[in-house]
Formats: sequence, structure tokens, C-alpha cells
Amino acid sequence: MKLNVMVVDDSAVMRAMVKKSLSLCGIELGEVVEAANGVEALEKLASSWVDLALIDVNMPKMNGEELLNHIREDEATVPLNVIVISTEGSETRISRLKSKGARFLRKPFSPENLGNQIREMLGETHGDGSGNQALPVSGPDF
Amino acid sequence: MVSATKLLVVGMADAKHSREPGQTLVTYALGSCIALVIYDPVAKVGGMLHAMLPQSSIDPAKAEVHPAVFVDTGVPLLFLESYKLGAKKERLVVKVAGGACTHGDPEKDMFQIGKRNVLMLKKLLWTNNVPLAASDVAGTESRTVFLDLETGRIRIRTPRGEHEL
Repeated sequence: MKLNVMVVDDSAVMRAMVKKSLSLCGIELGEVVEAANGVEALEKLASSWVDLALIDVNMPKMNGEELLNHIREDEATVPLNVIVISTEGSETRISRLKSKGARFLRKPFSPENLGNQIREMLGETHGDGSGNQALPVSGPDF
Repeated sequence: MVSATKLLVVGMADAKHSREPGQTLVTYALGSCIALVIYDPVAKVGGMLHAMLPQSSIDPAKAEVHPAVFVDTGVPLLFLESYKLGAKKERLVVKVAGGACTHGDPEKDMFQIGKRNVLMLKKLLWTNNVPLAASDVAGTESRTVFLDLETGRIRIRTPRGEHEL
């Protein structure tokens, strides 16, 4: 099954790096949507089917934390899988992001780091318990 | 208005299928439960699941006897049974309704059953390569869902009125 991903970062270079990492991390990708800030991300979330959002913290107009707040407040987006990718060093802020159901990946990161985070999120592997609690899928295929 | 004789009622923790033209599948009063509705417009086969809880792991024995109680066991049942009536996976139009927080305040909904039901459903559909065509989920209102087997139209009735999904 292909994963539709939204990459939110104000740096076009960083968005390209994240996209490259996605293509290398062994995850089957569907559509990749890009946004340069939180406002643009919310607009695109309203019109796109997104399974996972990879968001930066420090962005103009609306930062990543504000974006996460909006995502969790909107009934349509509240279950969205979110990984925050940032150089953020404040443990307080990281804890706050995690308490809102986001995973955290520190820059710089490798495609393997990203792939592992995504697989843990999807319940394919077991992580350290941080971030989103994945629901294990059982029952027969259909 | 649908005559009572044409209504096929899907009870709580139940799944039903039909390919009888003119019949309407209905499930009443969804709160945090979800109704998954599938319809093959070519074979005119429709199915509806009214599932209550996300995961069968909390009571595998119950899931064995009543798989439709749980999303993770009810959803495969819904699809697999529809294939027996002639539905094809690639033609199925899949829609969901329900998953509300009927306590009124989602902040106080400690177990978040509605949200978890929807989340489990999306994960199951995703892992089985099934696109979700439409959804009317969350909120605080109770929903009653109708599927017209002739047209595939789905109507949702809430205390505020009726709309199409």
C-alpha cells in the first residue's frame, strides 16, 4: 500500500532532502505533497488525502507546533500521523510535541532513521514507546 | 421514504449484505460505533458493518463468535462476504460514518473509542490497498445510515437533518 506524505518545511532544499530520504528508506510512496509553512499545509490537508505529515518546527507564518495544534483540533485531521523533523534542542518543546501525538526525528537524520520511525508508527516494528502509539492490525487480509 | 419491508436492518455489532434491488440497508443510532458501507455498482452488491470497538485483542473469544463487534475482525468479514455475492474488490466504493463522541465533550472522552475505531479502520483499509471514497466521522451527533442497493446512494440522518455521503 502506498503512503501519501506531506512534507512541510520552509526550505525547498530541506524538502528535497526529506523527499530523497523518503525515496531511499524503503517505504512505498504514493503522492508527496509539499508545503512551505503551516498555513499552506492546512490548506493542502483540506484537499489531499495524506497518511503522514513530516513537519519542521521553525517556519514563517505558522510554525510546526502551531500546525500540530491545528491538526489535533480539527476532527478531520486529528488521527493524522505526524513526525516532527527538526534541529530543535529544547526537551520541553519536544515533550510537548510528543504529548500531542507526534514523533520526533532530529536533523540531521538518515533515510534509515526516517524509515524506522515510519515503520514503528505503522506498527510494523516495535519502537521505544515514544510518540504515537500504533494500533496493531490483526485479522485476515481482504 | 423507504417502506419497512424493503429495509434490511444491520444491528449493533452486526454485518449484512444484499444484492436485492430496491432493498435498503440501514443501521441506527451510531455513536462512537462506525458503519462501514461497501457497494459494488456493477454487481449491485452492498454491505454494511456496524462495529463497536477497534481491536479484537481485548476479547478474542468474543471476536471468534461475534467478529462484527470489532473493527479489525468485522471489516475483513464485510469484504470477504461481499465477494461471495459477486462483488469485486477493485469496484467497491467504500465509505464510513460514525466514530462520534456522544458524551458531548471530546476532551472528556477518555477512551476515545470513536476516534480509535476510525483510526483502526483507516489502517486496515490502507494495509489492504482499499481507498476510502468518503467519510462522515467524529463530531458529537448520533447518525443513522442508509444504503440504497439500487443506486448505491448513502444517506445519513442526524438530529439536525439528512444528507448524502
